[in-house]
Amino acid sequence: MGFDKASRRHFLKTAGALSMFGAATPLAMQLATLGSASAQAASDYRALVCLFMFGGNDSHNMLLATDSDSWGRYWSARNTGSDPIALMPVGTAPVTPGQVAPLTGRTVNNDSPERFGGVLPVNSVIPNAIPVGTNAATRTFALHPVLAPLVPIWQAGRLGALANVGPLIVPTSKAQYQARSVPLPASLMSHNDQQSIWQASAAEGARRGWGGLIADTMLSQNGANSVFTGVSVAGNQVFLAGQNAVQYQMTTNAQPAVRINPATGTTLNTSSLAVTRMREIIRDNAHVSLFGQDHAAFVRRSMDVADTLNQAFSSTLATSVAAPPANVNPVTGATENNALATQLQTVARMIALNSVLGLRRQVFFVSIGGWDTHDFQNQNQTVLLGRVAHAMAYFDSVLANLGGADMRNRVTTFTMSDFSRTFTTNGDGTDHAWGAHHFVMGGAVRGQNVWGQYPTLGVDQGTFRNPDADRNITIPTTSVDQFGATLGRWFGVADAQLDQIFPNLRNFASRDLGFML
Amino acid sequence: MTDSTCPADHRPARRQAWRSILIAGLAVLAAACGGGGGGGSQTPPTPPPPPVRLGAPEVARFLTQASFGPTDAGIEALRDSSFESWITQQIAAPPPTQSHQATVEAALAAAQAANPSASINANNFYYSWWRQTVTEDAQLRQRMAFAYSQIFVVSLVDTAISGSSNGIRGAASYYDMLTRNAFSNYRTLLEEVTLHPVMGVYLTFLANQREDAAGTRTPDENYAREVMQLMSIGLYELNLDGTTRLNAQGQPILAYSQQDISQLAKVFTGISWYHPTPTNTTFLGGNRNPDSFVRQMIFYPQYHSFAQKSFLGVTIPARTAATVTQQTMADDLRVALDALANHPNVAPFMATRLIQQFVTSNPSPAYVERVARVFNNNGQGVRGDMGAVIRAVLTDTEARSAPSGDSFGKLREPVIRLTNWARAFGATSASGNWLIGSTSSNQVLGQTPLASPSVFNFWRPGFTPAGTTLLGARGLRAPEFQIVDEVSVAGYINTLQTAVATGIGVATAGVPDVRSAYGAEVAVADNAEALVDRMDRLVFYGALPAATRTRIVEAVNSIAIPSGATVTQAQIDAARLNRVRTAIQLSLASPDFLIQR
Repeated sequence: MGFDKASRRHFLKTAGALSMFGAATPLAMQLATLGSASAQAASDYRALVCLFMFGGNDSHNMLLATDSDSWGRYWSARNTGSDPIALMPVGTAPVTPGQVAPLTGRTVNNDSPERFGGVLPVNSVIPNAIPVGTNAATRTFALHPVLAPLVPIWQAGRLGALANVGPLIVPTSKAQYQARSVPLPASLMSHNDQQSIWQASAAEGARRGWGGLIADTMLSQNGANSVFTGVSVAGNQVFLAGQNAVQYQMTTNAQPAVRINPATGTTLNTSSLAVTRMREIIRDNAHVSLFGQDHAAFVRRSMDVADTLNQAFSSTLATSVAAPPANVNPVTGATENNALATQLQTVARMIALNSVLGLRRQVFFVSIGGWDTHDFQNQNQTVLLGRVAHAMAYFDSVLANLGGADMRNRVTTFTMSDFSRTFTTNGDGTDHAWGAHHFVMGGAVRGQNVWGQYPTLGVDQGTFRNPDADRNITIPTTSVDQFGATLGRWFGVADAQLDQIFPNLRNFASRDLGFML
Repeated sequence: MTDSTCPADHRPARRQAWRSILIAGLAVLAAACGGGGGGGSQTPPTPPPPPVRLGAPEVARFLTQASFGPTDAGIEALRDSSFESWITQQIAAPPPTQSHQATVEAALAAAQAANPSASINANNFYYSWWRQTVTEDAQLRQRMAFAYSQIFVVSLVDTAISGSSNGIRGAASYYDMLTRNAFSNYRTLLEEVTLHPVMGVYLTFLANQREDAAGTRTPDENYAREVMQLMSIGLYELNLDGTTRLNAQGQPILAYSQQDISQLAKVFTGISWYHPTPTNTTFLGGNRNPDSFVRQMIFYPQYHSFAQKSFLGVTIPARTAATVTQQTMADDLRVALDALANHPNVAPFMATRLIQQFVTSNPSPAYVERVARVFNNNGQGVRGDMGAVIRAVLTDTEARSAPSGDSFGKLREPVIRLTNWARAFGATSASGNWLIGSTSSNQVLGQTPLASPSVFNFWRPGFTPAGTTLLGARGLRAPEFQIVDEVSVAGYINTLQTAVATGIGVATAGVPDVRSAYGAEVAVADNAEALVDRMDRLVFYGALPAATRTRIVEAVNSIAIPSGATVTQAQIDAARLNRVRTAIQLSLASPDFLIQR
C-alpha cells in the first residue's frame, strides 16, 4: 500500500520538468514527455469521492434492521400519520397503485411504500453486535426497495455501510448528552452548521475541510497539475479547502472548464488590444481590497488551467466513458435526467485521465439536494434514493473499465449528509436529528458488511429505555473523525497527519474502523 | 430618526457633523440640529435651499448602496437634495401600482385567452421582478424587498410552489408582501411572513397537525427552527454590537434549545389553506379555494395542539380540545411572535443582515450597535421601525465616509450587477415585459431572485472563503463569495459580454428582449476620455483607479473611427458602438466594479 520511494522520486522529477512548460504547452508535447510517468501514475492512483446528500437524509429508511424487535419499534413509530412513512417488511409483495394493500388496508398511491414491496435483505458477513436494549439473537439488515441496483454490488463485496455515524467530540452516552456533561459539536441539528461540521469539523465560517487537508498531503505527488487534486462538480464546498490545496470547480460539460471568451479570443469588438486589456483588468490582483484581490485570483486560476483541462477531456480516454443509462423515476415512471449520475460521469472522465494529467491522488465532491423531507417524504425520498442507487451503480460499472483499466480498487465513494432524521414521523415526514447510516463503495472496501454499531431503535415508552436515543434523535456511536481517518489511511495519509486533520480522532479508541482493505 | 430634513441646515459641514452626531448616537440628532430634543417629534422650519450641490461621486456611491444602480437622472436629482430627504421620499413612495401578483395574473389571463388550459411558470415572476427592480422609481423599497427575500427566504426552486399557476401567483403575492412591508414594523413583517401560505408550503408547516396522544407522532419542527435561526434570533446570544456573548468558560451561549424548537413547533399546528367554509378536507388541501395561495392561512382549531407550550421563557398554558378556538390560536400565535420579535438578539441580528446586504460584509461592531439601537428604539419609543433602521444603515458614518482599509465593502450580487448595467445605460425591454428568465446556472449569473437553493439563501451571512484566500486567511466574512469559483467567474464575464453586446432575455428573431442602444455613450464615443468618464460616473462612483482607467482608454482607442471618402455612416456608427461596448464590458468585468466599496 505504501509508495515505492524510488519510483516516486523519479515521477516527481519528471513532473517537475513538465511544469516548466506551463499551461500553454500543447497537450501532445506534454503527453510525449510524460511517457514513463503516465505508466507509473496509472499503477498507483487513488481517489476519494464524497457524495453529499444535502438536506439531511433519513437513513432510518435507507438501511434498516429487520430483527423482529427492531422492526416492531420501527413499524409502530412510522406506520402512522396522514401519510405513513414505514417501509414494508421483507418479502411483502408490491401492490399496484389504486389497489388496497393487504398488510395495511390502505389504498396505494404512486409514492406509497406498499407500492415498492418489502425492504431488500442484505447480509453482514461480520455479524453486527446486538446493542443494549435490543432483544434479538442476530441482527439482520435490509435496504430501501428502490436501492435494488445496489444489492448486487453489496453482494459482490464492493459496498458496505457504516452505521450510526455523526459529529462527536468525545464518545457520548445518552446520559452525557442529556446532561450536557461532555463537549458536544456546535449547533447540532442546524443544516448549514452540520454540513460544515461533517465537511470541516467546525460550524459555519469554517475555512478548511478534511478533504482539502487530506489533499494537502498529496499535492506534491500530482506535479504540475496539482490544482486538480481537489475537484468539485457541485459548487463551493469547504470540504475541499486545505492549507494549500484549493477546490477546483468543474462543470459537467464535455469541455468541463469554462473559457472567459472576451479575454481569450483573438479580438473583442474588432480589437485585439481590447482582449489584452480585458485580460489584464480581470486578472489585476493589485486591487485595493482583499475582495478584489481574491476575485482576481479565482479568475487567474480559471484561465490558467482551462485549456489544459479541456484539451485533456478531448482525448478518447475521457470521451469514451459511457453516459449514464436512462433513469426511471420510481414514483412517476418517467425517464428523467439524473444530475448526480452526470456529475459522476465527469468524475469518471477525470479519473480516466489520471495518467494523461500526471495525477496520483484526487479527492472529488459530488452532491444531490432535496433531502429535507419534513413533508412528502414518501414521494421525495423515494425519488432521491432511486437517483443515488442509479448513480452509484452506474459509477461502479463505469469504473470497472476505464480505458481498459479496472479502477474500482482505486476509487472509494462514500456518502455524507447534514444529519439523519427523527425516528418518529410528523405525519408525512421527519425532522432534524443526528446519527446516520452511510454507504462506502469500492473495490478496496470490505463490503457486504455493516460496520460500526447499528443502534437500538425506538422511543422511550413505558419501561423501555433506548440507550442510543434522546427522545426521537439517535446519538452517534461512531464519529465523523473516525470515518474520515479510516478513508484517509487508505488514501495514504500518515498516522500523525491524521491527528492534525481530524482534531478529535485521539478521543476515540478506534482510529481505523476496519472497513477498508 | 424621522427628522429627515435637519442635516440640510448644516450642509457645508455635512460630513463632519454627521460623523459626530452618528457616533454619539442617533438620539442626539434632534438636539444637535437645534430641534430642542424630546425625541425628534418636532417639525423643524423648512430649510433654505442648499448652498452647495452634492458631488456626483458621493451621490452615485450612495445610490449604489441604496438602489439597484445609479442613473444619470437619479444622480442629478439627488445632487440637489440630501440623502436624508431622499430616504424620506423613498419611504413615503407607495408600493408599485402594478404588483407582481397583478403582473403574473395578467400573464395568466392572456395565456388562457388563447388556450384555456395554459399555465404560467416561475419565469413569469422573474420577468416581473426585472421590470420592477429596473424601472420603479421607489428604488429603496425595491432593495429592501430584495434584502428581505434573502432573509425571509422562500424559493421557486420548490416545485410545490412553482409547479402551478396558483403557486406562481402565491410567490408573486409573497414578494408583494415583502415590498409592501419594506418600511413597516418588524413585528408586522414577521406575522405576515408567518401566515403567508407560500411560507407555509416552503417550510412545510401548512397543514401541520398536533402531536398524537401516544407521543410517537410529533409536530413538524421546520418553521419553528428556521424562523428562529434565520429570521429573528440566530443560534447564539448576541451583544448589541452583534458580537457573540460568551459564558464564563468563554463559550458561546445557545440562544435556544431543541426543547424550545419542539415546543414552539406546537404553536404552528392547525394552520392551513384559506377557505371561506373551512373543513377537515380544506385543511388537508382538498377543495382548494382559488385564492388560497394568495390569502393568509387560517386557523383550524381541530388540528391545533392544546398542550402547554414553553419556549424562550414564555409559557402558553394548556387548553383542551374543547377550548381551542380560532381566537385562542390567534392569541397564542401573538404570544409566540412577540417572544421572537422582542428577543434582544433581533436588533443586532437584523442590523448585521441589512448592513451586509447594503453596505459592507464586515461592519465594525460599533456600526452594528448604532443600527441595533435604532431597531430597539426609533427615537420615538418604537421598536422594529424598519424605515428608521434602513435610514440608520445608509446614513451611518461607516457607510458614508470614504472607504478605507482593505476589508471594507462587499462583492456585488450577480443579479445586481445586471440591474446596475440596465439602469446605468438605459436598457429597455422591447416587449415591455422584461423577459429575463432564470439566471441560476453557474455559467450565467449563479443567482435568480426568489430562487435560492434552500432556505439558507444563495450564501450565508457568516460565509468565510477558504483559508487559502486572503479573506479567509484573515477570517473575514464574504457572503457573496460562497458562489465564486473557477466556473462562475467565467460564467459572469461571458454572460455580461453578451448582454452588453446584444442584450439579454428571450430573443425575438434573434434579438434579446432587454438591451440598450447606448445613446448617451455613443454620443461621446469619439472621445475615449469622455466615454470612460461616463463609466466612472455611472458604475464606479468616481473611484475608477488610474491603472484601470488607462487600460480601458487604450482599449477604446484601439478601435478607430473610420474616416475618408469611402467610409459609410454605418461603418462609423459600428465603430462607435464597438468603442462603447468595449468600455462597458471592460468596466463591468473589472474588480473595481465587482467590489462595491
